[in-house]
Amino acid sequence: MSKRSLWLLAGLVLVASLIVGPGATASPAKTNAGTVVFIHDQEPPNLQGPWVGNNLYATSLVLNNIWYGCQIRNAAADFVPRLCVAKPKLVKKSPLTVSLEYKKTAVWSDGKPVVAEDLYATWKVFTNAANNVISRTGWEDIKSMTRGNSKKVTIVFNKPYADWESIASAGPYAAHVIKGKDMNQTFLTSIPVSSGPWLFDSLQKGVQITVKKNPRFKAGPQMKLDRLVFRYILDTNSRFQALKASEGQHMEPQPQLQIADFLKDSKFKVDRKIGYTYEHIDIQFGAKGHPALKQPYVRQALITGINRGQVASALYAQISPGLPKLQSLAYKPFETNYKKNFAARPFSQAKVISILKGKGCTGGPDKPSAGNDKIFSCPNVGKLSFRFHTTTGNQLRALTFEIIQRQLKSVGIELVPRFQTGGVMFGTTLPSRDWDLMLFAWVGSPSSSITLKDIYGCGGDQNDGAYCNRALTKVLEKVSVTLDAAERARLVNDAEAKYMVKDIPSIPMFARPLYTISANKVKGMGVNPTQEGSPWNISQWTTS
Amino acid sequence: MLTYIIRRLLYSTVVLVLASFLVFTFVTVSGDPLANLRISPNVSELTVQNVIDRKHLDDPVPKRYLYWVQDAFTNKFGTTLLDNRPILPDLWRVMKNTLQLLIVVQLLVIIFAVLIGVYSAIRQYSGFDYTMTTFSFLGLATPVFWLALMAQVAVVQIYEKTGHRLFPIANLNSVDPGSGLDFWIDRAHHLVLPVLVLMVAGIAGYSRYMRAAMLEVINSDYVRTARAKGLNERRVMMKHALRNALIPLVTLVALDFGTLLGGAVVTETVFSLDGMGLYFVNALFSNDPYPVMAFLMVTAVMIIVFNLVADVAYGLLDPRVRYD
Repeated sequence: MSKRSLWLLAGLVLVASLIVGPGATASPAKTNAGTVVFIHDQEPPNLQGPWVGNNLYATSLVLNNIWYGCQIRNAAADFVPRLCVAKPKLVKKSPLTVSLEYKKTAVWSDGKPVVAEDLYATWKVFTNAANNVISRTGWEDIKSMTRGNSKKVTIVFNKPYADWESIASAGPYAAHVIKGKDMNQTFLTSIPVSSGPWLFDSLQKGVQITVKKNPRFKAGPQMKLDRLVFRYILDTNSRFQALKASEGQHMEPQPQLQIADFLKDSKFKVDRKIGYTYEHIDIQFGAKGHPALKQPYVRQALITGINRGQVASALYAQISPGLPKLQSLAYKPFETNYKKNFAARPFSQAKVISILKGKGCTGGPDKPSAGNDKIFSCPNVGKLSFRFHTTTGNQLRALTFEIIQRQLKSVGIELVPRFQTGGVMFGTTLPSRDWDLMLFAWVGSPSSSITLKDIYGCGGDQNDGAYCNRALTKVLEKVSVTLDAAERARLVNDAEAKYMVKDIPSIPMFARPLYTISANKVKGMGVNPTQEGSPWNISQWTTS
Repeated sequence: MLTYIIRRLLYSTVVLVLASFLVFTFVTVSGDPLANLRISPNVSELTVQNVIDRKHLDDPVPKRYLYWVQDAFTNKFGTTLLDNRPILPDLWRVMKNTLQLLIVVQLLVIIFAVLIGVYSAIRQYSGFDYTMTTFSFLGLATPVFWLALMAQVAVVQIYEKTGHRLFPIANLNSVDPGSGLDFWIDRAHHLVLPVLVLMVAGIAGYSRYMRAAMLEVINSDYVRTARAKGLNERRVMMKHALRNALIPLVTLVALDFGTLLGGAVVTETVFSLDGMGLYFVNALFSNDPYPVMAFLMVTAVMIIVFNLVADVAYGLLDPRVRYD
């Protein structure tokens, strides 16, 4: 090699060493001992809370422990008092009157006590027409509320509101901080006070949000950690890699196959539970839908021809073996009020053929067959070939479709795929009612059963399937104003068994599992299926 | 030349106006930005109406476009659709981040590509030339996202086996980046993997151009004349060959710089770098036409400006080019 080549090579090595140099002395995460880094997939656009454009789980993860609640939902989704001395009480049914009392130790981080005026100010924020809050439900039904510096609050509603406990449990804004502020422009980048275990510390847009221990928090156990850092990594694979590389210690991943790696890795622990969000197939009853779907026997054939258990186990065999099929449209398998009402519609391919032939349908197979390509045609409603809509880019939904398509084809029912982006499907197709079957998820909550009338009631706000059963609607309307939870559950379960299982407005598939993955050196984390998320018990989180 | 520049800028303005209208139309009609909002349980109709009124979503597309133009000029690109957040501060932030990445990548790519290209040309058909040619084709053929993922996996594997993490694999800085020099060292450290990934394709492409340009020049008459006049080889190469061979590369770099300012979408997404590319992806996912428009306008202006720079530079470097 010539002298000049040697110089050239030396130059290359020098430049390369300048690039690689800093890395050679790198040490894992430059963090304090009392810091946990929570890797998350979505960054809150701002810190406003339940505002339009910011109605995200990612935002509630940060804010729940700042605007702390009278009570919060624990890992079993039950309310447990936090800022309040006890659970809010139902004082009177008519007019609906509830009371709650904040603890003496409930104080803001600036030293001022949490009082009735704070909840009053919060009520006013949510009912101010100029404020772009995502939902005013419940708040707009309040007639009056205690004001002033009292720790005791009495709320009187205009009309019965079944989910009153959620309103009473809400984390109040600090009245003395928000006084005179335009709430559409407040708390965009920082929050000066907190009533909960942590305080807002800093926001580095596009990178991270840091919260730190609130030393003035006395209403419950304090954080043992010094701080928690939410690090935002958009790419799915990068999130998992970052956790493995100790760039973070905790995450709440979506159900993804990469979780299987962590289940086998002794350096991490994985917690999993079934959540409130559930996949289902909506059926179109309106004029633009396939006429066959208005026939109960066709809907019965559809649900009977889909092996829902096989779909759930095929999708989640590796990361959530034994995930049960969902047998209710109102409750989830882990809820105490869950009843397997849709178990009355078991999978049976032979029965599908017998149902259809019994109604005079022709052209289909005589017996179920995987290679079948004969499709039934039924009297007055035509060929049983349905447009099947779902969202693009969702591997699990694509797989669900493939399985269902094969299952139904083997009994003479055809599904034609119509995959669309979420924006087009939810924004245009769903409300247009120009579809036959649609697979998507409802994001549920512990109080979902109260608002079932919006989805399954005649003319309900979210009833895009145009399903209508007057008797059911009457019951669901009664449910929405029934204050007693046990009575509500009885009404819902009876109505589901009596009307919904018979009518089949939707086919419940499965409730999505939820996961947390934590490095072994941090402890105390686990799944909370509600909007509280895993930091609901932040006081128990520790790091070695 | 001034006339030429003014004329080019005037043409570009017309192109920008047309492009902005077309893009606005396509982005607007591609989906309902309120779709996710509408399926939220218990969403306030009053709030939805507030958004519709504030952003004139009930008006026809041409009218909405004019509102957008007004907002872009009088209100610095205006605000986002749902949360009414000012767009410009976010755009500046991500542009600065992309520039940091881009400048480092381009500088290193040019240095390596020129060195490799020149040496390959001088030693044509040597072992070095064949090796670099092979690597160039590999670099051009390798998808960036795959390379980025493999780089991350490699770092994680080394970390798991040795407990030593060579480079961070995501974000622009550490949890505690420090300040001053510490901050910049931390930033440089975080940019190593994305820079390396982007360099692969960049070097592969530019070194081929450089090699071809150099080969053309060193076989030309004036280089032969220079040698015949007795100039030493170093002087012939550096003064006569390299300077002329650099002209097409300079033009190419200027053109690419404008385009790259739009962000290395894939690289920024994989490494979670808060840059223009990631900003664009997020804006698209949220179905919000306003940040998408702001991004596209800034990118379009940059492309036009750097195209002009490339043309002007070409004229300055090559005396044979005259502006008409």
